[in-house]
Amino acid sequence: MTDWLTPDDWQAVALSLRVSFWATLVSLPLGLLVAYALARWRFWGKQVLNGLVHLPLILPPVVTGYLLLAAFGRRGVAGQVLEDWFGIVLAFRWTGAALAAAVMAFPLMVRAMRLAIEAVDHRLEEAASTLGASRPWVFATVTLPLILPGIIAGAILAFAKAMGEFGATITFVSNIPGQTQTLPSAIYTALQVPGGEGQAARLVWVAILVAMGALALSEWVARIVARRISGR
Amino acid sequence: MPQRFALASALALTLATPGHAEEVVVFAAASLKTALDAVAADFEAATGHGVTISYAGSNALAKQIIEGAPADVFISAAVNWMDEVEKAGLLVDGTRRDLLGNTLVLVAHGKDAVPVAIGPGFDLAGLLGDGKLSMAMVDAVPAGQYGKASLEALGIWEAIEPSVAQSENVRAALTLVALGEAPYGIVYGSDAVSDDSVTVVATFQANSHPPIVYPGALLTGATDAADRAFFEVLSSEVSDARFAEQGFVILN
Repeated sequence: MTDWLTPDDWQAVALSLRVSFWATLVSLPLGLLVAYALARWRFWGKQVLNGLVHLPLILPPVVTGYLLLAAFGRRGVAGQVLEDWFGIVLAFRWTGAALAAAVMAFPLMVRAMRLAIEAVDHRLEEAASTLGASRPWVFATVTLPLILPGIIAGAILAFAKAMGEFGATITFVSNIPGQTQTLPSAIYTALQVPGGEGQAARLVWVAILVAMGALALSEWVARIVARRISGR
Repeated sequence: MPQRFALASALALTLATPGHAEEVVVFAAASLKTALDAVAADFEAATGHGVTISYAGSNALAKQIIEGAPADVFISAAVNWMDEVEKAGLLVDGTRRDLLGNTLVLVAHGKDAVPVAIGPGFDLAGLLGDGKLSMAMVDAVPAGQYGKASLEALGIWEAIEPSVAQSENVRAALTLVALGEAPYGIVYGSDAVSDDSVTVVATFQANSHPPIVYPGALLTGATDAADRAFFEVLSSEVSDARFAEQGFVILN
């Protein structure tokens, strides 16, 4: 089995999983907050926020990657602040790849969560507060369990998108084996060379297997959660 | 009757008139961009035929041609990718010729960077610090392949390998240095000429890498007279001047 793919290939798979995992995990709290704000609150600039959140979905990924490079590259505005004050460098590192993946996946996560939040029956929450529960308690014990399937769906969508992210990643952090050569980048590199189709095909099989595995896992988790919520 | 004859001959004349604008499709190595755009503009002005040029790494272009891309002329930055296309039987016999040469240089970001002396065992890793060395893909794109060969000849490739940021063509590698995202890069001498925001700090010796040769050829898909005309123009004096201006070495 280990001869089927080279060590570099396995490295690309491992890197993709690592990048996607962290991208999804770190953007979950922010995604939930933004989804809640867009679903429940009214504030000046709400449509602007909505537009900004959806921008990575409509812009060509290479453009998003270039904007990230301009902002977070070593010479970028935010990049220099991060480097000078916190010592964090994103350019050409896997953390930059995770940022690119997170930005591209964010709109999908927010949309899924927002739909779930909007579907919650207000009367259940009102009933809880009339019984004496504080706002945070209502959120934790009534709202959160009800929207949990939506959160899981959003997280899985984001993870899947992050696994497949290519254009923004290669533009922002380029293609460095071991650091930023994710699975899509490895497939692309293999396709750039005449005669590399064999290697590309093997990597494509891995990508399909990982994607189907993630989907199966998510279906299973979602079913368990849904069963618990409906009390069966 | 005379009117019908007049009408018919007028129609025949318009249909038979030569000189309708043809389109030449050229696949060219990315490093040729500045010079070849100028050559194409000269050709369009002189003949009225349009020239469409697709620039990319020679490996990607070779692959596209082998898979059936409708190109008329191919100019590669290395002999090996032209060989691949020749093996696939897609070159017009007798048209392949070596057009240009180039030099391989180490560039730094900025207009007045400090020159560097390179020799065997030279500490490029130390010079880079935690910055990246911007190169084209070292396994596929000619500029990357030449660069890796030079670094291997100097005995420093293994030390440098973890610090290399690879791009899909040499112009993308140049851009990373021009933007300051990478402090140093390995590109062609002609690329350094084309961009003010980088400076050449060292030139790799010609014997440390395979000779940099740009072969050009007419492809079997080329059927218009304009295609052959453009291919011949590539070796003309006016074009030679355009290439030399950008730092290329004229071979023919």
